[in-house]
Amino acid sequence: MPQTPPHPHPVSAQRWLEARRRRWRALGALLLLLTLLTWWTVSSSLLPGTDWQRMGGLPAILVTVGRFLPPDLSLIPNLLQPALDTVLIAIIGTVLGSLISLPVALLGARNLAPLGRFGYLLARALMTLSRSVHEIIWALIFVSAVGLGAFAGILALACRSVGFISKILSEAIERIDPRPIEAIQAVGGSRWQVVLHGVFPQILPITVSTIIFEWDVNMNRAAVLGLVGAGGLGLAFYNQIIASHYNGVTTVLLAILAIILIGELVSAFLRRRMV
Amino acid sequence: MIASVSVVRARQLRLLSRFTVLLLSGVGLWMSLNYLNVHVERFEQLFQRLGVLFANRYYPPDLEYITRPGFLKSVLETIHMAFLAALIGLLVSAPLAWLASFNVSPFPKMGYPLARLLITTSRAIHEMIWAIIFVMIVGYGVLAGVIALTLSCIGFSAKLFAEEIESIAPGPVEAVKASGASPLGVFLFGVLPQVKTAWIGISIYTWDVVFRASTVVGFVGAGGMGWYLRRAADQLQSDRVAAIVLLIVALVACSELFSFYARKRFHG
Repeated sequence: MPQTPPHPHPVSAQRWLEARRRRWRALGALLLLLTLLTWWTVSSSLLPGTDWQRMGGLPAILVTVGRFLPPDLSLIPNLLQPALDTVLIAIIGTVLGSLISLPVALLGARNLAPLGRFGYLLARALMTLSRSVHEIIWALIFVSAVGLGAFAGILALACRSVGFISKILSEAIERIDPRPIEAIQAVGGSRWQVVLHGVFPQILPITVSTIIFEWDVNMNRAAVLGLVGAGGLGLAFYNQIIASHYNGVTTVLLAILAIILIGELVSAFLRRRMV
Repeated sequence: MIASVSVVRARQLRLLSRFTVLLLSGVGLWMSLNYLNVHVERFEQLFQRLGVLFANRYYPPDLEYITRPGFLKSVLETIHMAFLAALIGLLVSAPLAWLASFNVSPFPKMGYPLARLLITTSRAIHEMIWAIIFVMIVGYGVLAGVIALTLSCIGFSAKLFAEEIESIAPGPVEAVKASGASPLGVFLFGVLPQVKTAWIGISIYTWDVVFRASTVVGFVGAGGMGWYLRRAADQLQSDRVAAIVLLIVALVACSELFSFYARKRFHG
């Protein structure tokens, strides 16, 4: 009868207990830290930073909530055009953003970096800038540049989308198989041919799914750009609020919810079809 | 010969269909631009106008403005709002995701659709709209912002949490179930160990998203530095807007750096 070989890592109960104790201690320290931070934020920001007097008690809040009901259904015909505007702004903004993203992604991919270190840093800076500035701020800037209307909204969405799309794409480019590129270079292909036939086919599926995902998010964003004058359902929402027409606010909210749910269904369908 | 002819033919057909799709999308794009009253010819002037705008009005940024104590206090308030919202949102998201995952949901009949509805709604409505609504309900200030950010946090993280749960291996769950554990026990010992690492990654990512949103919810009066941004924008003090936007970019970059290190630390 063969002898069983000794276990490669002898389990020492002592060490196991010690590790467990250390883990519990770390968890306890984390909890203590979170509690202290919470206490600090609540006492220094939440309590003094809220108008508790105006809010009143629970009954007052319930009365305010009650004013939103029922939705004013007579408003629906007036919302069809803004809803269409919102959808179109989201689509065109995503298309424009994707067109800008492709060169940025190429510049920012470490393995290609056609313009060298300078281009790489520029592309990375653009990605960070695009993602860290909120769509409302982009819209503010473009409204002051091209005036009120859908155009400012489209440009804002395009600028906001570039960061995410090009980041995902440049990560995808960094992961591609280098052999097709080497093959094209070996037969004397130019830089454009390398990108067109060596890089692009490999990142096509992830490009499509990323763009569809971003379109979905952009529908969401397009619905608020109207708050700063960039058209669509956001403007309708703002008008209802200015008029203190609470029931109308609920209707616009439901309309936004409806187009976003439809958008989610469409994007799920597209993703299943194309990816 | 016949084979090669049909190959050429198929290639031609494919090219034709691709061309048709491209043409149709081009026409559709042109029609929608017309419908939206977008003057594409303005696009060429855009860069010139942006250049003039930045050179004359946004530059130089009013850096003195963002070092005033009142403004700095609002920055601290912004960070506090993001912290509270992310903390509450993540604490709510964990059980909500458990309810909203079809494979281990403890109440598949009632809890699953309800949790899904809650997640989808908080996701579908933009945080700015939540902020406006809660400003209308609880008044101007930090509380409205915290509630709005919490909802947007839930919509974001609970969906990703649930997706992680739905892709776990069923084996450990079966094993814990077979040992006679309660649904909570199944969650704690069959599900949680499998999703822990992914959840930490998602939580860090959620923090980034919530923090970015927290810089602007004040725009509609929901606390934080957004209110100063609104005021500067309304009064056309573009040099102040520029300074605030620069500060936001710097803060977000810092927060992303912090998350990068946190992610590296947890993922080893």
